[in-house]
Formats: sequence, structure tokens, C-alpha cells
Amino acid sequence: MSDSKYITLVSGDGFEFVVLREAALVSPTIKGMLRSPFVEAQTGRCTFPEFNAIILEKVVDYFHYWHRNQDKEDVPDMEIPVEMCLELLMAANYFNLDAKPTPRD
Amino acid sequence: MADEPTLPTLPPPLPVGDRKKRRRNLDSPPTQSSASSDPAFFSSDDDPALDNYHHNGRRKKRYVGTWFNQQPASSDSAMGEESLPSYPPPRRNRPPQPQKREFRRQLDSGVWMGTEGSLTDTDDSFDLEPAAAKFPVASPRTKVLVSAPPTFSPQELAAQRIARTCVERGTEQVDLSSLSLETVSPEVVKLISEISPIPTVTRDVAFEQRDPEIQLYLSQNLFRSFPTAILNLEHLTLLSLRANNLDQIPPAIGKLTNLEALNLGQNFIRVFPGEMLNLLHRGSKLRNLGFQPNRFWQPDTTIATADTIATTTARSDEYDNLTYPNRPTTKLESSWSGMTTKIHSRSAVQFMDGTHQTLSRFALPDIPGARGAPIELESLTSLAVPKEFAPKIRQSTTPTNKAFNPKGARSLFELALRAGITSPQVEEVRAWALHAEDAPRHFSPVVERAVKIHREGGVRCAVCGRDTLIPMAQWVEFRRIGRTTITVDADGKEVEKFTELGGAGEELPVPFLMVGCSWSCIPAKLEKEVDVKGTT
Repeated sequence: MSDSKYITLVSGDGFEFVVLREAALVSPTIKGMLRSPFVEAQTGRCTFPEFNAIILEKVVDYFHYWHRNQDKEDVPDMEIPVEMCLELLMAANYFNLDAKPTPRD
Repeated sequence: MADEPTLPTLPPPLPVGDRKKRRRNLDSPPTQSSASSDPAFFSSDDDPALDNYHHNGRRKKRYVGTWFNQQPASSDSAMGEESLPSYPPPRRNRPPQPQKREFRRQLDSGVWMGTEGSLTDTDDSFDLEPAAAKFPVASPRTKVLVSAPPTFSPQELAAQRIARTCVERGTEQVDLSSLSLETVSPEVVKLISEISPIPTVTRDVAFEQRDPEIQLYLSQNLFRSFPTAILNLEHLTLLSLRANNLDQIPPAIGKLTNLEALNLGQNFIRVFPGEMLNLLHRGSKLRNLGFQPNRFWQPDTTIATADTIATTTARSDEYDNLTYPNRPTTKLESSWSGMTTKIHSRSAVQFMDGTHQTLSRFALPDIPGARGAPIELESLTSLAVPKEFAPKIRQSTTPTNKAFNPKGARSLFELALRAGITSPQVEEVRAWALHAEDAPRHFSPVVERAVKIHREGGVRCAVCGRDTLIPMAQWVEFRRIGRTTITVDADGKEVEKFTELGGAGEELPVPFLMVGCSWSCIPAKLEKEVDVKGTT
């Protein structure tokens, strides 16, 4: 199970998102969760009670947006609705997607 | 008598019911004594245009009978209640009607056009008693919500007057100097932008509307911050801000590419924005730049090593070509002369992460602060980077991260920040970052800085040219400002001559603050210069 191509992210209100493992690994937080000693590494299922489905969906959108464009240049910006920006700032902070240089090994 | 012509057949008789109704109505005439076929109504107001109102709960007074029999029935009448009109009292025992007929004005056309129903018992308009006159109750005075007209200070009014005169006369020189102005209002800028020159009309010359060449003198005023409104004046060719209290110049000054003369002398400017180099490269229009005296940062030349200072223009050009490969080079067709800069020396690079934390040993001083100590220089052949990222920077072949792939996907944090800050709800975002309990403490400085960058018209990465709200690296380049004359000789070869302003060595170089949007947008490392070492 732990070497599956996909992982499942669960929002606080119980929605499940099946994401490419490779795309989700952009987030150091998720990467840390999927390391071996944790239960998430065995089940491939991460629960985020802090976020509702709407926000988590946008985050998952971002994972795939990043995955698609990671080796490209002059990428058009992803659309972010204004009303979600505060919660997404929190989510970006939680998932460590705040432009902190974290070199991938 | 069989051939006697027969009369045409009679039309069928009217339905009995209808006839009966009408007859009954005619037999027992309505209560009014009018001989007209009009219903005997009149309105309390004579203006027929006022007849149709029905709103606001106000009700038109209606009377039955002739006007000369009426007495005002309202309680405020001088006649009192005892002199009521003499029409029969309304019937009270009438069953409630499902819906009231709408009262419509009926003009007397002389032709009976009424439907049968209009005079039947269902017509309840007779049954209305005169409504008591209602006067609008004097409501407590509500606050008027119309915003007060903007009040202008006398200085502002003087500036507007001058600008208006210039618009009227079509003069392109707007002299707003020595007016004790503290800012330039959008009103004045709007007036100035309306200036259109009077074209010269001469014989044998085609009439042509030319763009205005506005010269704006704002010297000897009290500006503490740059009047950003004037950045929208596209056709500005001369701008003088001499003798003010400026300590910063916004990066958006690089948009004023039509400038031919710019005077920023006698201020308190610490550092010029890197975007100002847009006005100072070959092919640009700037001919005159006044920048002294100011409180510029000074390079610390005491610990300079051999490669710290670019001694030759060739060395400077090498640095510029390597560091800014994307800078557009304009092809010159004829000889050109204008202001350019050459790199003199460079500070170390301050590396920051996305949360405005400095990761490198070197950090620039705060701009509003005092002039401070001289800026530490770094050799052009070396580049100090934070240890843990040293192997990644500039050698990263597969760009994986915002930090190393400047043109790649932006981070989610920056995307969300941009969405919030470019929206009209900026103040809410700022208040949230400052006060919300769940917002991490490091949000506030990031948001504040992004708001400032956005207000000043955005910052462009010096290296890759992308606009950014979260600069990841910054450094100071000390540059010599001078005049370059390029002449194209007969073979099409360019001969370039650079003359430093004020003579070489006399004036200290001017600092320019360069901003990088990622960790790979940093200055290039030059090779150790062999021939310089050989000569020294």
C-alpha cells in the first residue's frame, strides 16, 4: 500500500481527494507524514482536520498545477478567488508552500 | 301583400341580464347630482399629472358630489367636523370585496365607453369615505450621507490654478516649485495630463498632432515621499524634484521612459531603485540626471581586494552582460549620446526566504534609518551564499522549486498573497495578518512589504524581469554615472566613449538596490582577472 502511485487526502469535513503521490510531495509537510514510522506511510491516507473540502480542493489543485509546470518556464499564474486567499495563506503555511527554499533530494 | 319588402331582421336583443343591470342603475341614479356622465369625482389636487400616485402610503383625497357642496372633511379644517357633506353615508354592511378596483382617472370624452361592470354594485369607489388628510410627520433629522466635497488646502488650490492655466494656454512647462506642497493630488495630475500642445502650423508642413512633452517642476517643496501620482504621466520629459525631503524613490520610476531630464538633487535619498537603470542604459532618452547632493550609502572601500572594484569599463560590461543576459539591447542606427552607468563595486547578496527572514550573513540596513556605516563590499569574483544551499545555487540543472526556478510556478503562498493584495480588500488582509489570532506572526511583515511593493507600482526582478511581491534576494550595486557617446563610423562599427560625471575618482559611485525574485536571480561571478593582476 505504501508504494502506491496515489495517496488519499481527507478534509476535516470528510471529503477524500486522491492525489498523485509525486505531486503531493511538493509539500514538505506531506512528505514528512509519508515517511516510514508514521501510520500515514502505511495507509497512504492523510487526514487534515484543519481544512475543509473547499480549501483542500484548491490545495490539491495547486499540487497538480505545480506538478504539471515544475519544469516549465513562464508559467501562467493559477487563479485564486479573493475570498479564499486568507485561508489559502494559512494552508500554504501549513503545507510549507511559502517559497521557502527546500531543495528536493 | 306578399311582395311587400321585408325589413331586415332585427339584431338579436341584448342579453337580458345586462339590460337589467343598466336599467336598474338608471332607475336608481347614483348619489351624485351631477348631470355629466363622468363619475362625480374630483381630486383635491388640480394637477392631473398628480392623479396617479399611489405610493408611500399616501392616499389621494376623494370626494363624492359636486365640489361646491363639499367641505373639507379633514380634521385640520377650519370648518370643523359638524359641517360634513351631505352625501349619504357609505354602506357599511357591504360584504368585503375580494379586491379593490383600481381608481383610474376617467376623462370625459363625450362617448360612453364604460363597460357594463363599471356601474354595477361592484364599483366600490363610491363607498370610500373621505380620507383624513395626512401630513408627513416631521421625522427626526437623518444624517445626510452625501460625502462632503473634498476640501483643498491653499497650496493645493494654487497648484490646481497653475495646472489649469497651463491647460488653457497649452504650455508644457508646469512650474509648481516653491509652493510648500506635500503631495501631488490626482486632480492636479489629471489636469496636467490634459495638456495638449498647440501644434505649429506652417506652410508646406502637414498638420500633425504631436505628443505633449511635459516639463514638471516640483522643486523646493515639502515632499517626504515620492508623489506616486505623477508616475502616470506618460509624456513627462522633464521632472525636477530638487530640494525636497525624499528618502526613497519608487521602483516604478523606471516606467517614465520618456524622461530627458531628471533632477533628484538635494534630497535625503539613500539608494536608487534598480529599475532606474531602465532610464540609464544605451538607447534611452535621458540626457541629464541631477543626483547630488543626497545621503547615499557609501561603499566600504577600506577592505577592498583586487577584484572588488571594476577598474575598467570592459570589466563593467563583462559583469553586466553576465548578470543581466535578458536585458534588451537596442540596436543603434546612428550616433547616440546619453546617460549610462558602469558597475563600480557590489555588496554581498542578502538572501531571504519567503517569510522575509534573512538567511545570509549579510543584510542591508533599513532604508528609513540613518545613513549608517558604509556598505560592505564583496569581490566581483566571489559570491557568498548560505551554506546549506551553496551547491544548489546556479548549478541546479533541474529547477524544482520557486527558489531556483524563477520563471516556474509561483508558490501557493505568493499566489494567495497576490490575490489578496491586488483585490479591493487589501486593508482586510492587512488587518487579518496583524490581528488575527490564528495568523502566524511572520505573516504581518510579509504582507506589509507586499502591500508596499504593490502600492509603489511593483518590483521587477533585476535579472529575469519578472514582477514579484516576495523578493528572495537583494544587493546593492555601486555604479558610476556618466555620459556615453556612441558614434557609428563608416564601417558600421560602434565607437563608445564613457565620461564619468564630475571627473573620475572625484565623486563616489551611486548605489542602486537590485532585487532578485529567486535564489538563482543573483549577480554573476566573474572570472579572476588575469591581466589586471599582471599589471598591478
